[in-house]
Amino acid sequence: MTDRSPVLELQSVVGGYGRMTILNGCSFAVARGAITTVIGPNGAGKSTCFKAIFGLLAVREGRILLEGQDVRGASPAALIARGVTYVPQGRNLFTELSVRENLELGGVALGSAAAMRPLVEAALDRFPILRQKARDQASTLSGGQQKLLEIARGLIAEPRLILIDEPSIGLSPLMVKEVFATLTGLRDQGVSILMVEQNARSALAISDHAIVLESGRTRLAGTAQEILNDPRVARLFLGGDAGDAA
Amino acid sequence: MAALLAQLLLTGLATGAIYALVAIGFSLLWQGSQVVNFAQGDFVTLPAFVMLGVMGYGLPLWVAMPVALLVSLLVLGVLFRRVLVQPMLRHGVMPLVIATMALSIFMENAMKNVASAEAYPFPGLSGGIDLGPLFLDWQSAVTLLSAVLAVLALHLFLSRTRTGRAIQATAQNPAVARLLGINVDRMILITFLINAALVTLAAVLISPAYLVKFNNGEAIGLTAFCAAIIGGFNQVRGAVAGGLLLGVTETFAATFGPDQYRAAVPMVLLIVFVLFRPQGLLGRREERRV
Repeated sequence: MTDRSPVLELQSVVGGYGRMTILNGCSFAVARGAITTVIGPNGAGKSTCFKAIFGLLAVREGRILLEGQDVRGASPAALIARGVTYVPQGRNLFTELSVRENLELGGVALGSAAAMRPLVEAALDRFPILRQKARDQASTLSGGQQKLLEIARGLIAEPRLILIDEPSIGLSPLMVKEVFATLTGLRDQGVSILMVEQNARSALAISDHAIVLESGRTRLAGTAQEILNDPRVARLFLGGDAGDAA
Repeated sequence: MAALLAQLLLTGLATGAIYALVAIGFSLLWQGSQVVNFAQGDFVTLPAFVMLGVMGYGLPLWVAMPVALLVSLLVLGVLFRRVLVQPMLRHGVMPLVIATMALSIFMENAMKNVASAEAYPFPGLSGGIDLGPLFLDWQSAVTLLSAVLAVLALHLFLSRTRTGRAIQATAQNPAVARLLGINVDRMILITFLINAALVTLAAVLISPAYLVKFNNGEAIGLTAFCAAIIGGFNQVRGAVAGGLLLGVTETFAATFGPDQYRAAVPMVLLIVFVLFRPQGLLGRREERRV
């Protein structure tokens, strides 16, 4: 029987930076084995929400349930061990190290280099372009290849849930397509994905579910198609009416 | 003449190996937490005094060494980081640099108050072996061998172990390291502990030749700092190269030039490198790698 329970659930999460509150009772659920995209205006708390989930930001109130267990305040290491990977926006690589070394460091908190070796090989098999450039310095990769490397490095920990923030930012349309194809491929293998994406229309097109955040609260939640067809969302976040979106 | 040059090279390498150990500490602390530790030379003197103190109770050197190591790990590793580096680093690199200068002055005066300004002899090895026209004294041989083994062990630790790779990741980019689940604070603490162990080893190796005096750290620290920069401040292997180069240059300069200018050699070399190869022998611009 398929497990229908959400892989992740936020319940009335309140948090922010110092005295500044960004998340004002944020609540939503992330479906298992699906892509869920979070959209919203700038400052809505999308990236902050990811940081709160991944233990990089103090949560003042509320609960963060991972597979039913409260992980509020858990360290990134503990979350990685429990199958969560976070790929933040921007470039987050060890640029002076080779592609292979970057991949090896993906599991550094989990096991020895020897234990990581088969996982590194599997990641290189999954991304042939990275195998071609395995010995090259990460800084020599194109922006899209660097993002693929970040995703590949995240996969070394064999995650069940990937938090990915703005994966398309700064990439060419061709690379965006490749990154999104990678995400759908992972979803098809049962990995749950929670994504923040400014390129909302393209993101919703590959998503199963969507959440609209505004002022640190969940304004709307539904299937990606419902959100895509919602005239308010189309007007506010998709740059046109629902008819354009369809 | 060739035999003399070879002999000087050997002596210079042995001296340079000690500079390299202290310079590696400079480099590690810089990479781990942007600390330029101007008390590094005094960090070598303190364990030397601790060993003398323990031996003062009639205990042998091999008992004094682990005691000094323990004191170094605690005082120069844990306390140095917790009491001085962590609070000061929040205010930037410059206040911390000044704080380490203040620490150097404090340590020297404290050691002078406790042990007087006298230079104390330190047990070393006597005798040596003839290698054809060369004479290798046991102290230099043990110094070279110990330094080589220490550098090799450090290299293997950093490149082959999980903790070592996590330290490398932290040195490269602490923010990304944290995302990968690495306990960045613990890795930084380990670099401080490694530095404490290196200065203790340097104290054992250098004290028989330099004796133990409260202000020995001034020259050792300055030379090792120059060695780290000359080698490439962001490279452990650069610190090794810089230390060896300085040791050899100093020895040749003292033999063929006026001895009173020997102390200026590291600074002259430093100026030359800053002018013509600012990234150092093995360093690369903008690179931060253990």
